[in-house]
Order: sequence, then C-alpha cells, then structure tokens
Amino acid sequence: MLLIRCPVCAMDRPELEFRHAGQAHVARPADPGAVDDAAWAAYLYLRDNPKGVVAERWRHVHGCGRFFNALRHTVSDRILATYPAGASRPEVAP
Amino acid sequence: MSATEPHPWLAGALVPGRFGAAAGEPVRLGTRACELVQVLARRDGDAALQAAIRAAGGPDLPPPGHAAQGERMAALWTQPRGWLIQAGPDAGLARRLADACGPAAAVVEQTHGRCVFTLEGAHARAVLARLCRVDLHPRAFGPGRVAVTPLSEIAAVIHQTGAAPGFDIIVASSYARAVAGMLAAAAAPIGYQVGGDQMGGDQMGGDQMGGDRVD
Ligand SMILES: [Zn+2]
Repeated sequence: MLLIRCPVCAMDRPELEFRHAGQAHVARPADPGAVDDAAWAAYLYLRDNPKGVVAERWRHVHGCGRFFNALRHTVSDRILATYPAGASRPEVAP
Repeated sequence: MSATEPHPWLAGALVPGRFGAAAGEPVRLGTRACELVQVLARRDGDAALQAAIRAAGGPDLPPPGHAAQGERMAALWTQPRGWLIQAGPDAGLARRLADACGPAAAVVEQTHGRCVFTLEGAHARAVLARLCRVDLHPRAFGPGRVAVTPLSEIAAVIHQTGAAPGFDIIVASSYARAVAGMLAAAAAPIGYQVGGDQMGGDQMGGDQMGGDRVD
C-alpha cells in the first residue's frame, strides 16, 4: 500500500483514502471555438504514457475531499512529491 | 430530542459493564452528549466566521489536522475553511452562530446528525489502530490533533482529546450502531468498560461517560 501525503491535510494517509483523477496540467483551450477538431480531440483524449515520472491529479476523497497533484514514478510506483492543485510542477530527482 | 438524550440508534448497543478480556486495564468506551455544528466559510466570509466564533466564546479557528478549545466551545478542522464546532449540551449553538454569521458562512446543525464516541485509557491507541490507518504514535499525533479518515470503512473524525490517551470518534448517527459494534469488537481482546463506577440501571453507559473533557 502506498502512503500518500495530502498537501491539504498535511498528513501521510493510505492510498485507499484517495482516488486517481488522471494526468495533471492538462490545460483547456482558452477559446474552444478557435481550435480545430484535432487539437480539441487531443485536449480531450490524448494523454502521455511515459515510463518514468508522471504528474497526476489525485483526490483525497475519504479525507478533506480536495484535489491535488502528485509526481509518481510509473516503474517503482513511488510518489515522489505532492503539491497543491494550481501550483507548478516541482523539480524532483527521479 | 435534546442533546442530552441518547441517540435512539444506539439504544441497547452499549450496555454498562465490563466486557472482553478480564485481565489488565480496560479501555473505557462511551458516548459524549454535546452540540455539534458544521461551519463552512463562504467566499470572503473567513473573517466574519472567525469573529462570530470568537464572539460566541469559541477559539481561533485551528489549522488543518488540529482542534482548538475555546472558553465555551471547541473547533475541529474538517476540511479547508470548514470546521466542526463542539459545545456542551443544549447550548442552542447552531441558531446563534447562524444569526452571527449571516451570509458569511454555511452553518449546519449536526447535533443529531453525528454521534460522538469516547475511547479512553492506556490501551485506547491500540484499539483505534485496529480500525484506522492514521499514525497515532505520540510523535505523529497527540492531544488536540484531528484526522478525517475512514474508521474501518466508515467516514469518521478522530480527535485526540487527552494524553491519557483519550479520543473522540465522530461518525454519522446512521452509522453509530455499526461503529459501536466495531469499537466493542476491537476493544474486546483488551477488555473494555462501559459506564462509570456508579452504574445506573436504566441509563446507557454513554451518558455516564460523556462528562468532562480530558483536556
Ligand atoms: Zn486531505
């Protein structure tokens, strides 16, 4: 079981208090009417799938209920950092 | 039904007496009669909510993971800009806070929506650790700390009230009966006591346990 540090509660909590909520830092086009279908489809459906460190949204659904972001290594499954939603991705050594 | 009356969901669930393992010091299990009010600051309402709490005899609203005890009530952090206010029985708290806050905060009466269990004694930590996954070691948790976390599978607010240690466990009233059974099962291998030394005949142990706060 992973221990995940919720940046809102400021406590380490077990993974089963959380829900994964997809890739982080996916920006919605500011003017959807101005992008073509391919760009809109890319925004809706295309996600990275790297081997290594990914930035993901997680939600502390059985605690404070808030969304935050986490850096997770897809090989080791280790959570390397958690940070508030809206903050920029921190630098960490993988 | 006033706050001093036992929760009807709990009728017969906690019976005064000593149960489980007979040797050693038992943990004490009961309920606490109190008023509970959930407060949530609306946009730009933080200062007005804090002023209303302070004017009602409450503390400075505590940061995440903490509780604060005021003159007349305690505040338990439960979510960003949201607190559970706990006061003595029959304080009429929700009405007064709602009037004082106006549109600055959402004030929701929870006295009968939640049930507060008390778990006290040298082995209380061991009992709670069977049911929740929060690190309860004194270096990580202690008096005045609060955690919103599932207790087994049931959403709960855990509040350490004293160093003895003593804990308040706050759950939805509709789960109170299930939680009473869960706590009893977790405490049985250690042994548990419901009710004080002077056991009344017709009262639930919880009422006798719901006395002064440990802190
Ligand atoms: Zn949280």
